[in-house]
Formats: sequence, structure tokens, C-alpha cells
Amino acid sequence: MSFPLAGGTSTEPALEPGAPPPEERSSLWERRPWFRYALRCFLLYLASLWGALTIAFFFFRMLPGDPVSTVLQSMQQQYGTTVQASGDLVARYRTEFGLDGSVIEQYLRFMKNLVLHQDFGPSLLSYPTPAQDVIGAALPWTIGLMGITAVLSWVIGVAAGAIAGWRRGRLGAEVTANVAIAFSQMPFYFVALVLVYVFSYLLGVLPNRSAYDSQLTPGWNLEFIGSVLQHGILPAVSIVVIGSLGWLLSTRMLIVPLLGEDFLSYAEAKGLRPSVILRKYALRNCYLPQVTAFGLGLGFIFNGNVLVEQLFSYPGLGSTLVAAIKLQDLNTIMGITSLAIFAVLTANFVLELVLPLLDPRIKGWR
Amino acid sequence: MSDALTTTAAASVSDGVATGTTDPAGAGRDLDVILDIADLSVAYATGSGDLVAVKDVNLQVRRGEILGIAGESGSGKTTMAATLLRLLKKPGRVSGGTAQFFPGSAPEGVDLLAITGNRLRRLRWSSLSYLPQGSMNSLNPVARIERQFADVILEHAPKRKAELPTLIPRLLQQVGLDPSVARSYPHELSGGMRQRVLMAIAISLEPDLIVADEPTTALDVTVQRVILQTLADLSRDSGVTIILISHDMGVHAQLADRVAVMLDGAVVEVGEVRQVFHQPQHEYTRRLIESIPKLAGAAVGVNAGHPVATGEDDR
Ligand SMILES: Nc1ncnc2c1ncn2[C@@H]1O[C@H](COP(=O)(O)OP(=O)(O)OP(=O)(O)O)[C@@H](O)[C@H]1O
Ligand SMILES: [Mg+2]
Repeated sequence: MSFPLAGGTSTEPALEPGAPPPEERSSLWERRPWFRYALRCFLLYLASLWGALTIAFFFFRMLPGDPVSTVLQSMQQQYGTTVQASGDLVARYRTEFGLDGSVIEQYLRFMKNLVLHQDFGPSLLSYPTPAQDVIGAALPWTIGLMGITAVLSWVIGVAAGAIAGWRRGRLGAEVTANVAIAFSQMPFYFVALVLVYVFSYLLGVLPNRSAYDSQLTPGWNLEFIGSVLQHGILPAVSIVVIGSLGWLLSTRMLIVPLLGEDFLSYAEAKGLRPSVILRKYALRNCYLPQVTAFGLGLGFIFNGNVLVEQLFSYPGLGSTLVAAIKLQDLNTIMGITSLAIFAVLTANFVLELVLPLLDPRIKGWR
Repeated sequence: MSDALTTTAAASVSDGVATGTTDPAGAGRDLDVILDIADLSVAYATGSGDLVAVKDVNLQVRRGEILGIAGESGSGKTTMAATLLRLLKKPGRVSGGTAQFFPGSAPEGVDLLAITGNRLRRLRWSSLSYLPQGSMNSLNPVARIERQFADVILEHAPKRKAELPTLIPRLLQQVGLDPSVARSYPHELSGGMRQRVLMAIAISLEPDLIVADEPTTALDVTVQRVILQTLADLSRDSGVTIILISHDMGVHAQLADRVAVMLDGAVVEVGEVRQVFHQPQHEYTRRLIESIPKLAGAAVGVNAGHPVATGEDDR
């Protein structure tokens, strides 16, 4: 009587806490669903790796052009002699480049060499150096420049975008956003040229060519590292300036609709500091798309950045790839493509394992 | 007057429950006002001119009471709550009035509508706390429940850091939740569990005033009872003042000491809950009371300030 709603025999489903199920005799699989999930992701990863490499292999075999005749041609030019390509010689080269036998045989051999020895066969770019060594020489420069600038662009862009979104409607934030929109449409080389003009030609403080001072011998000493850093500044800054703008705009676009969310009002009602609300409440909810995009983009840096490398005469995979395509250097092309495939899929695999930590709602297991 | 109310009147008298002005414990505190709302008006700028959602409201909230605010949908209850909590967002704007707040930390009084910045921030939660409707997404979807207790406690009472491992389970148990809920994420909880979590967070710093906006709406009766019981206990044991917004007159009948009835942004009637239920002054109030659904076998009881009975399933 005293409490009319208190009567009745309501069941109580809400009292079940979100606790783990009671301990039963269960296998590792059941107790650790994460394990099963990780294994499934890994198997899928291996399968897509195999699929992508296979497609790439047959795609490049279908392209016109014959590497062996290219070798012979270049040898003729080099030695000035008219090498009468005997059947024997051609056959030897075909074997060496992995072009003998049927396509299926070639494919099986390619896969075997790739898996067992990470060997792509000789390159044409600097015959007879193996393609993987040609790639290996360019790789550190690409990873160094592209990897570091990718991280910097993301950190700077996301932080600036969060603030621009948070302070939307205020003068500074709106000006920043509009400038970002305008500049993000600007070609990268424009920024690079302006920087080169100002810092190399006008001020003469920074080098604009090559990856290090050619008078130095590469090694782990301060002088060489300093030279590498100094040469890296202009290409890095031009990449970061343009790259971070994209992150700025996308982060701002993710933050703005969040600002109307109940949980942000609630955080405000709690009396939390605005910086805490921005970081722990608003930005934290943007990490999922932004880290995903970053992870996928990270794979693509292995293709190198041709424009940067050409503009700054920077050694890297981009230039290597362009040269290899010109020469029809099949093995090197295959090597770079395989590396890119491997990088993209690996990044994706790691993301699938990591993303549930960033957003508990997307648990892949269960 | 409906049969239900007549019966209830008799029942309440026979219960012998003292309420309102006749409550000995309440004697002398009636004049002790914790929140003095004067001439408050709030308007929303819309395409076709201003929409006045709160009109010249004068309302005094007494220290330690549970003040119910009733009124049908769109009458301006949430707008008033948001204004008092300083959560009013554009296009809303306070077009006039003051709200003098007299918390323990500032007995001289502060105008809730004028205070800004860090002074406002420090007043929040430790003095002025908020219990939103559980169906809103008030909890941060990517943070564990324990984090959402910890952030507000550490912000306002950093000295209690060491206490957290015992404090959070205790608060959860107080609202009938298992302590393991602390490790959960909001999406892993049911609506009723989320509402209880919000309840536990709202009381975590023992505020002077809690503004609760529809805290029991859309919940099953069991969870409703836990929420109302916790509010009743809190009011009785800690002397916390509660502004309880609900369109459900039944909730006010069960819990409130006094009720204010809103209609189109204006408060049309304020009074002791018993008096409002038995001698409604306004035709609109009468209609609201008559709209209370009569549950099978139970009439609506007016039972102000009376603790709610608990079932054995309330942990
Ligand atoms: N953001 C807004 N912009 C314009 N008008 C608004 C806005 N929010 C509320 N209103 C108007 O203000 C009036 C009061 O709304 P409010 O949400 O305060 O009502 P309420 O009493 O809480 O209703 P309910 O019981 O449905 O929650 C309504 O007429 C509503 O249309
Ligand atoms: Mg409302």
C-alpha cells in the first residue's frame, strides 16, 4: 500500500552483472575467445597474402615485354659488340630470371623462392645484383623518411583537428579550418618548392638534394647522422605540412558531431577540465577511424613517394620502382609489389587485433 | 475526486506517516532555502522567433527536501534542469532571472546563472550533481565504468585516490549492482544497470543538491524502485536535496515532499505533495493526477518522504 509499484513479482534480469560466465570445465578456446579470434585473423591474413601475391604474379606475367631481350640489348649497347644471342644464352638467361618452363612452373618456383629464401631473382637495374638487395638498399631511406613523416603528420594533424573541432565557431578555429581546406588541395610539390626556394636558395641554410653529404661515408657516426637529418628536413617538412592537413580536417569532422553527444554534457556536468573532456571523452571516440586510416596508410608508404624522391633526389623505393618499370625489370617490380602487399596486409592484421582495445564495442570475438 | 485518491487519503492517515510541515525533523528547516530561483526565463531562438520554454519561474527549494517537478511533455522541465546545471546549449539562452544557490561550501550563496569558469567547475558534482535519464548516452562508450567514477572523484576529491578500490564497489552495491560492473563498458550493461550506475556516480561525492531528470522513465518497476529507494535513503540519511523531474505523478506521490507543476514553461502550482494531490488548485494539476494509471490491486498512494519498501532481490 505504501508503495504501489513495489508489489508484483517482477523478474530481475537487470541484476545480472556483466561478469564472466561461471567457471566451468572449458577448453582454452572457450575461456580465451580472444585466442580463437586472433587465430582466425591470422589464417585470414595468410590466405589474403597468398591470394594477393598470386594475383600480382599473374598480372605482371601478362604484361608485354621480355626481360631477357632487354638484358641482351643492354649488353650489346654496353659492350659495343653484336652478341649473337645463341639459343643457349637465351635459355641460360631465361633460367636465371625464372622465366623458363610453363607459367605454372614459374609461379610455383616464384612462391618457393619467396617463402624459403625471400629471393626474387636478379634485377635488371643493376644486374646481377638480386632484386631484393636493390630494394633493400632503398628501403631504409623510404622507411626513415616516409615512416617518420607519417607518424608526425598523424600526431600533429589529429591534435590540431581535435582543437579546431572543439573550438568550432570561434575565429581562430574557423580560420585554421578554412586555411587547412584551401591548402590541403594544394599540390605537394608547391609547398616543397616554396620551402626549397626559401631555405635553400634565399637563406641557404638547408640542403635540397640527396639524403646525405656525398663526401661522407655512410656509417653510425654523429657526423653522418647529422647530415642525414639535415638533408631530411625539407622533404620531411613538405610531407608533414600537407599530410597533417588531411588528418586535421578529418579529425575535426569526427569531433564536431560528437560535441552534441550526451556523454560530453555529462562530462561537463561532472566538472571535468575541458582538456580532459577533449582528450578522454571526445578525441578518445575518434581514435577508431583515425588509427584504422593510419594503419592502412602505413602499408602504402612502402610504395615510396615518387614525387618527394624526384624533387629532392632522395634515394627510395619510389624512384627504384619508376626505374624498374622503365626497364621492365620484372623481378624488382615483383619484389616491391610483394613488399607493399605484405606491408598493407600486415598493417591490417595488426589493426584487427588492436582496434578492439581502442573501442570496446567492436569486439571481434565472442 | 477519484475513488483512488479518497482511498489513498484514508490509507495515508491510517499509516500515520508524518509528512511535510508536520514532520518533526523538518521543523525549522522549511525556511532554510538551498536554491532560490527568481524570475527565471529561458528562450530558444528558432527560425520563427523566440520560443519561451521557461517563463518567469519563481521557486524555492528547501534544504533537504525532495522537490518534484511535474508537467507534461514539452512543459519545460528539462530546459529548467539544464539551465540550473548550466548545461543549456544554443540556441537556448537565459533571458532573465537568477538562481541563488547556497551549498555547504559557499553558505553566502552563488548565482548559478552567473558563475563561470573554474568556480563553476569546482561547484559541480561536489555541490551540484546531476542524474540524467539512463536512456541517454551519458556514459562514455569507450571507458570502463570504474574510470567514469574515478575521473570525477579524482577531479574534485584527489585525496580519496587510495579509497577508490573500496569506494566504487560500495557505491555500486548501494544501488544494487555487483561490484564487477566496475570493469564493464557501458554497452555491456542493460538500460536499468546503466541508470543505476548513473545513480551511483551522482551520489559519489555526497553533493548538496542533485538534479534528477526523469531518472525512472522507461525502466521496469524493479529498477524504478531501486532508484527511488536510493534517492529516498539519500535524502533521509545524508540530507541531500533533490530536484526530481518526472512527468509521472505516481513517482511524485511516492517520493516527493513538495511538487511544482509546470505548464507551458510556467509553474502553475507548488505545494506539499499531499495538499497538491488532495486539493489541486489548478485544473491542469487535476488532470495530471487523474492520468495516473491505476495498477491492478494497488491504488496510487501519497507517501511523501516515506522510504520505499525494498524487495529481497535488492542487493
Ligand atoms: N534545442 C532546442 N531548440 C528549440 N526548442 C527547444 C529545444 N529544446 C527544447 N525546445 C523546446 O522547449 C520546450 C520545452 O522542452 P523541454 O525539453 O524542456 O520539455 P520537457 O518538459 O523536458 O519535456 P519531456 O517531458 O518530453 O522531457 C519544448 O517546446 C521544446 O520544443
Ligand atoms: Mg525532458
